[in-house]
Amino acid sequence: MTKITIEDKEYPKQLKEIKNPPKQLYLEGNTELLKQNIISIVGSRNCTQNGEKLAKKFASELTMQKITIASGMAKGIDSAAHIGTMEAGGKTIAVLGNGFNHIFPKENIELYKEIIRKGGLIVSEYPPDTEAKSNLFLERNRIVSGLSIGVLVVEAAHRSGTSVTAKLAESQRRKVFVLPHEIDDKYGVGTNNLIKKGAILITSTKDIIDNFKSLKYIEFKEASTVNIDKNIKNKIQEQKINKTLEVRLTNKIEKEVYMLIKNGNKEVNEIAKKSNKSISEITNALLMLELDGAIKKIAGGYKCI
Amino acid sequence: MVEGFQNHGEISLAHYGVLFLDELPEFNKKVIESLRGPLEDKTVTISRLNMAVTYPCKFVLLASMNPCPCGFYGSDTQKCNCTKEQIRKYLSKISGPLLDRIDLQIEVSRVPYQKLDSNKKEETSEEIRKRVNKARRIQLERYKGQEIFSNSELPPALIEKYCKLDSKSKKILEDAFEKLGLSARAYGRILKVARTIADLDNSRDIKTQHLAEAIQYRSLDRKYFEN
Repeated sequence: MTKITIEDKEYPKQLKEIKNPPKQLYLEGNTELLKQNIISIVGSRNCTQNGEKLAKKFASELTMQKITIASGMAKGIDSAAHIGTMEAGGKTIAVLGNGFNHIFPKENIELYKEIIRKGGLIVSEYPPDTEAKSNLFLERNRIVSGLSIGVLVVEAAHRSGTSVTAKLAESQRRKVFVLPHEIDDKYGVGTNNLIKKGAILITSTKDIIDNFKSLKYIEFKEASTVNIDKNIKNKIQEQKINKTLEVRLTNKIEKEVYMLIKNGNKEVNEIAKKSNKSISEITNALLMLELDGAIKKIAGGYKCI
Repeated sequence: MVEGFQNHGEISLAHYGVLFLDELPEFNKKVIESLRGPLEDKTVTISRLNMAVTYPCKFVLLASMNPCPCGFYGSDTQKCNCTKEQIRKYLSKISGPLLDRIDLQIEVSRVPYQKLDSNKKEETSEEIRKRVNKARRIQLERYKGQEIFSNSELPPALIEKYCKLDSKSKKILEDAFEKLGLSARAYGRILKVARTIADLDNSRDIKTQHLAEAIQYRSLDRKYFEN
C-alpha cells in the first residue's frame, strides 16, 4: 500500500480539478492505471439480473476500446462492472468508501483480492482503519467520477445514491452516459430522470466513444490490435476446448453431450431428448464433464466453460 | 409442524408416509429447520416446561420450490425480475444442513405446450411401480436378519459392507468431493442412493454410472449464485 498526497506528481491530474479533491489517496495495486483514460460504471446495489448483464457487457466492450473501468466495489452494478472488466482481460479500479482493513461489503473481500491479483488498483482516501459509513460512500462517489472522463449509469432508482454520483459528475463537468429504461421500470426511474436533465442517452459502446474527440472507436471487424487480441483469446479458448476434447472426450456420449451444451441446450431433459440417450447415461456424462472442468452447473442447467 | 402433546404435528402424522411441503421457502425458517432432527433420528421430540414426548416419524420428505421469488430465474423463455439479493434471501431459507439431508434434488424446467400434448411413449407409473417393488425385494433379501429393510436405513458400519466401490468409482467420488464441494454428510447418503440406483438396475455391484447418477442428484448445493 502506498500513500500519495495532492502535492505528489503521481496524484491524478483530473482529480485535482474537482471542487474538493481528496488531500491524500491510499493506493494498493497497479498505480499506472491512474494515467489511463478512465470511464466509471455505476448503478444500484439492488439491481436486476439484466442490469448486471448490461454492466458486464459495457465493461468488457469498453475494455476492448482500451478504456480502464472504475467503480465503487459495492454490491450489484459496481461488482458486475469490475467482474466484466476482468473477464475481458482488463484491469479495473475500485474506489472504496472505507479503509483497506475494513472491506465492505464483506462478501466482496474475494473480489477485492481478485482485482489486485488481476493487476487492478484499489483507491481510498481514508486511512486503512476507517470503518465503512454511509456518508463516506457518498463522498467516495466524487472520487469515482473525479478520476473518470465519463460516467456510465446503468440502473438507478428514484432518489438513489447513483443519481447523486451522476449529479456530482455533471458538476465536475464529466460526461454522464445513461442507458434508457421503460417508463414504468422502477429500476430506471433515476436513469430516465437523468436523461430528462440532459445526460447523454446511449445504447452502445460506440455511442460512448464517439462522445470523446480524443478517442477513436476501434472497429471489431476490421483488422486491429483488439481484433488480434480477440483472435488470440478465441484461439486459446479453442485450444483449451480441443485439449479437453482430445484428452477427456474420448467417450462418445460425453462428446455428444458437450457439443449439445455448447450449442445452447442447457437443460438435462433437452439434452437427453436430442441425443436420444437415457437420463442415466446423460447424468453420467454430465458428471464426468463437470469434474473435468469442461462444463459448469448454472441455474436451469449447464453451460460450457 | 411439530405441535403439542395431544395434537400430533404434521411430522408425526406423516409416520410411514410422505410429508410433502409445497413451496418450501415460503415456510417459516424455524419450521423448516425443525425438520432436521426428525429427518436424521426418525423421531420427533416435543419438549414443554415439565415433560417431553417423543413420537416416531419415519417419513419421506418431499418438497418443491421455485428458483427465485418470481419463479423465472434460469428460464430461457421468461425474464426473471428478481434482484440478486432477493434470490439469495429466498434460497437461503433452505440451509446447507437441510439440503444435505435431501438426497435427490432435481431441477425441473417449464414444460412447453407441445410437450404436454406429445404422444411419445413414456414409462407408465405401473411399470415404474414394478421396478421399484423389485428393487425393494432385492433389499429385503439382502438385509435379512440385519433389522433393517432398505438402503436408506443402512448404518455407517454396514455402508462399508454393502456399498463397496471399485477403484475407478472411488476416484470419481474423491474428485467430486473436492471439485463440487460436497459435505461429509453427503458422503454416506450418496453411497446409499448409488446402492438404490444399482438395485433398480438389478446390478449386484455399484457401478460407476450408478455413482455418477447419485452424485448428479445433489445439484442444488453448487449453483445459482454464479451465472
